[in-house]
Amino acid sequence: MKCRKIRKLVPLAAGNDLRPRQARAFRVHVEACPDCRAELEAFRRGLAGIRAAARQEGAAEWTEAEWTALMARVGAKAKEESGDRSRGPVAALRPHWAGAAAVGVLLGLVVMGALIKGSSLWRGAGHRKGLPTTAEEQARPEQDKISVTMVSPESGLQVVWILDKNFEWKGDRE
Amino acid sequence: MNETEKELIALVLSGRTDAFEPLVTPHRGPLLALVSRLTQNREEALDVVQEALLRAYRSLASFDPSRSLRNWLFQIAANEARDRYRKRAREQAALPDVAGRAPAAANPEAGHDRSELRAGVMRAMAALSPREREVFALRDLEDLDVRETSRVLGCSSLAVRAHLSKARKKLREAIRKDFPHLEEGQ
Repeated sequence: MKCRKIRKLVPLAAGNDLRPRQARAFRVHVEACPDCRAELEAFRRGLAGIRAAARQEGAAEWTEAEWTALMARVGAKAKEESGDRSRGPVAALRPHWAGAAAVGVLLGLVVMGALIKGSSLWRGAGHRKGLPTTAEEQARPEQDKISVTMVSPESGLQVVWILDKNFEWKGDRE
Repeated sequence: MNETEKELIALVLSGRTDAFEPLVTPHRGPLLALVSRLTQNREEALDVVQEALLRAYRSLASFDPSRSLRNWLFQIAANEARDRYRKRAREQAALPDVAGRAPAAANPEAGHDRSELRAGVMRAMAALSPREREVFALRDLEDLDVRETSRVLGCSSLAVRAHLSKARKKLREAIRKDFPHLEEGQ
């Protein structure tokens, strides 16, 4: 390595923080180069002085009263939080179940609403507008069962609800 | 981590909150020293340590026993201190008269006594970037090695070396002019 490159490594070399391969190359150069060796020694002395001064100035001390007060605050908050947790895992899970149940009920209501609306619109459309119904339509047996299929996009699980024409529950299957 | 710490951690995790204090008390000095160097404000350092200890309590179950407890506490405290100065930086950015206020420059007439040197070093440290200050405090003042420092700060050893090199260079440049005797070994 050349002196220019070595000088860039001096800040790390002063604290023995070079990577092993760099450190070897650095050592070889410095042993042979008095200028770089002098630069390294000067940097080391400067760094030692800076470290010592920063340690003296920056080292805040606790008073016993401060530490006791802080631990009391931490302890109080910790107990408060432990109390919340000690209501048990069911309590912790409740919000998730509540959310899932709410979503389920909402989904059910939307599906029901859509079915009822669709059915009455279809039936009502002919009557309201006075459109003639064909013989074929009249002959078609009334649908007496409907099914609603829900598919989980994550697991692929399918749940089918079977309802009669009055939307009374007739069963389900997976 | 020693056996006492393992036992105390087990007690805390079993619900004995009173075991937390003896667990962290041996580390209180280094913890406050580190945080006060990072924040450069004692009152803020006390707040940061309190919040860091609360976080440590909350996440004690996730502590990896193969690690040093002290370094884990350092990590939490350094993260908390970083959150604070980011928040402060955002607040200062909103106040144009305060934003960009540089630390007071060293007095060229300053003598060479120890208190002035310490003040000069603190000013120079304040002028470092937050990351440089963290790396310098952990590596040069708390004596963590590069690998431990990188683990505490959640960055690579390469990044630690780069910041450490810059920090030492900046500090030396800042100090050398006013305190040349430092390098003369007097």
